[in-house]
Amino acid sequence: MNRKWMVWIVAPVLLTVLYGCPKKKPATPAQDLDVDTTTVAPPATTEEVAPQTPMTPPEDQQEVDPLASSDLQVVNQELQRRGFSPDVYFNYDEAALSDDTRAKLARNADLLKATQLLVTIEGHADERGTNEYNLALGDRRANAVRDYLTSLGVDAGRLRTLSYGEERPVCTEVDESCWSQNRRGHMVITGRANVG
Amino acid sequence: MRSRATHLAVAVVLLGVGLMLPRIFAQEPPAAPPSQEPPNVTIVLDQKGQKPIKLGIPPFRRLSAMQGGAAQAAQELEQVVRQDLQNSGYFQISGPEAFQGLQLTGDFARDLEAYRTTGVETLLIGDLRAETDKIVFEGRLFDVASGQAILAKRYRGAFPVSRRVGHTFADEVILFLTGKRGISLSSIAFTSDRTGQKEIWVMDYDGQNQRRITGHRSTSMSPSWSPDNESLAYTSFFNGPPGIYLAELASGRKRPIVNSGSLNTTPTFSPDGQRVAFARSVDGNVEIFSTDRGGGGLRRLTHSGAIDTNPAWSPSGGQIAFTSGRAGNPHIYLMDVEGSNQRRLTFEGDYNDGAAWSPTGDLIAYTSRRGGRFQIAVTNVVTLGTQVLTSGAGENESPTFSPDGRKIVYVSRRSGTKQLYVMDLDGGNARPLTKEGNNDMPDWSRLPAER
Repeated sequence: MNRKWMVWIVAPVLLTVLYGCPKKKPATPAQDLDVDTTTVAPPATTEEVAPQTPMTPPEDQQEVDPLASSDLQVVNQELQRRGFSPDVYFNYDEAALSDDTRAKLARNADLLKATQLLVTIEGHADERGTNEYNLALGDRRANAVRDYLTSLGVDAGRLRTLSYGEERPVCTEVDESCWSQNRRGHMVITGRANVG
Repeated sequence: MRSRATHLAVAVVLLGVGLMLPRIFAQEPPAAPPSQEPPNVTIVLDQKGQKPIKLGIPPFRRLSAMQGGAAQAAQELEQVVRQDLQNSGYFQISGPEAFQGLQLTGDFARDLEAYRTTGVETLLIGDLRAETDKIVFEGRLFDVASGQAILAKRYRGAFPVSRRVGHTFADEVILFLTGKRGISLSSIAFTSDRTGQKEIWVMDYDGQNQRRITGHRSTSMSPSWSPDNESLAYTSFFNGPPGIYLAELASGRKRPIVNSGSLNTTPTFSPDGQRVAFARSVDGNVEIFSTDRGGGGLRRLTHSGAIDTNPAWSPSGGQIAFTSGRAGNPHIYLMDVEGSNQRRLTFEGDYNDGAAWSPTGDLIAYTSRRGGRFQIAVTNVVTLGTQVLTSGAGENESPTFSPDGRKIVYVSRRSGTKQLYVMDLDGGNARPLTKEGNNDMPDWSRLPAER
């Protein structure tokens, strides 16, 4: 069994011994703690240390669905592994969805319908034009994506739109190859619907 | 900044006969009557028709020994007076150099003949004196022809307010000699990313005294002055979706005006300060709304199905200019404040946004794309005559009028980064006001309330 975790118990104990610890009220006695000090000298007393977190490993070591992870980054990665497209792109000054975009969104919709995940759809624009108008354009793009996902059966209550206009570019060169990457609808899982 | 006014403690003493004299300049002629002429009527924007007043400003006299803070305050004060009067555009100023060859005694009565040979009509004599931690400034105007003192003012203030003393006196001179209020005490709000994130900033009209107003460490933009110059409405993402907030400058307090829904942007105050018009996303599209200052009384003003955004309330209060994509490209439109009578204002250029009213309400300046480049254009709301004020590369955007209507501050990328520039209304005399980071979305304050 991997005992690396013990260092987290032993180390604070050592620090306590070496540097002293103002004797405030005594810490909760550690009851079930069996510290192996053989790898570390000098011996440390164990009475003053309370475990910060339960050290017992999860009882259920079975495989869990990554989509059920509480870490949303894991969820986003897993969805993409299964074919979810986080980004769809737009033509200049337009919020219309191309055939390619519709195909991507159809796949996204299928994946989302099998979950209870909440999605934020960000609308972005390239730097050309005014910041103010681009903010409105980003809103239109985000809503175009939302409306299409909804038409494919995704619950509208799970979709939130957020326009950043030209304020959050992914690419900052001044050319079309860069601008085209910034004219996007970006879908990111931001939570989980409460079921029941 | 907050304590400056109280700090100032200016003792203003009228020494002369000045205020009894009639103001020299008459009011501007009334705006052109409504016309049925088609667009393309050129509007005359330059001020070159006005004959500049020939003003002589010899070096200010130091009447007491000055060192350190006093010397610096004195130098700054003199510089501010000269620069403000120069910036105003009303004067042809003869500076210290023009008087170097004269045989001057320092006694104005005896020096009058010498000054007359230089052709100056009016002479500004400045006297500076230090008093412990204060500077005392006395500024006088003389009519060179008659030799009469026509205006005299005395100010006393702590060293740090010397700039403000200079601005105050310069505006007194402008008011006295032209009958028009000066803009030397006005401020410009803008966004800057110099701290790493876009925050709201404010600076004096001449680019000095730049100070940060928000510290949201998010993206904050589109500042808009309240008519009393005491608050700024602005858009910020700090709470998630963009909402509209109010920053009170004196207290530093920030509070939400409207932050429900997915998008609220581009606030503009009604001239009575009671309502705010703004753009809001509703049913998947951005439309213009208005609300009261507290966020209640929400009214929807547009229903176009296209983007409607970036409203600008007219100075008279009766109209709102805004941008709409309803014709396929963004253009400037006008409507009455309840949303009726919507009509298109701009027909030239293929991308027009960012309407800004002149203080008299006869002109609207905006960002206009011409031949693929963004320029500053001005359209007369009555005749629809349009003029482009900038040229060349550099993406010139986001104009805002000075409170006297004689200048425009705008954003240009001509240096590689976005910086604020000021130019005359005819497009001349452009010069930068900022240089640190990227600076954008200027809004020029109104004139301070008359005392």
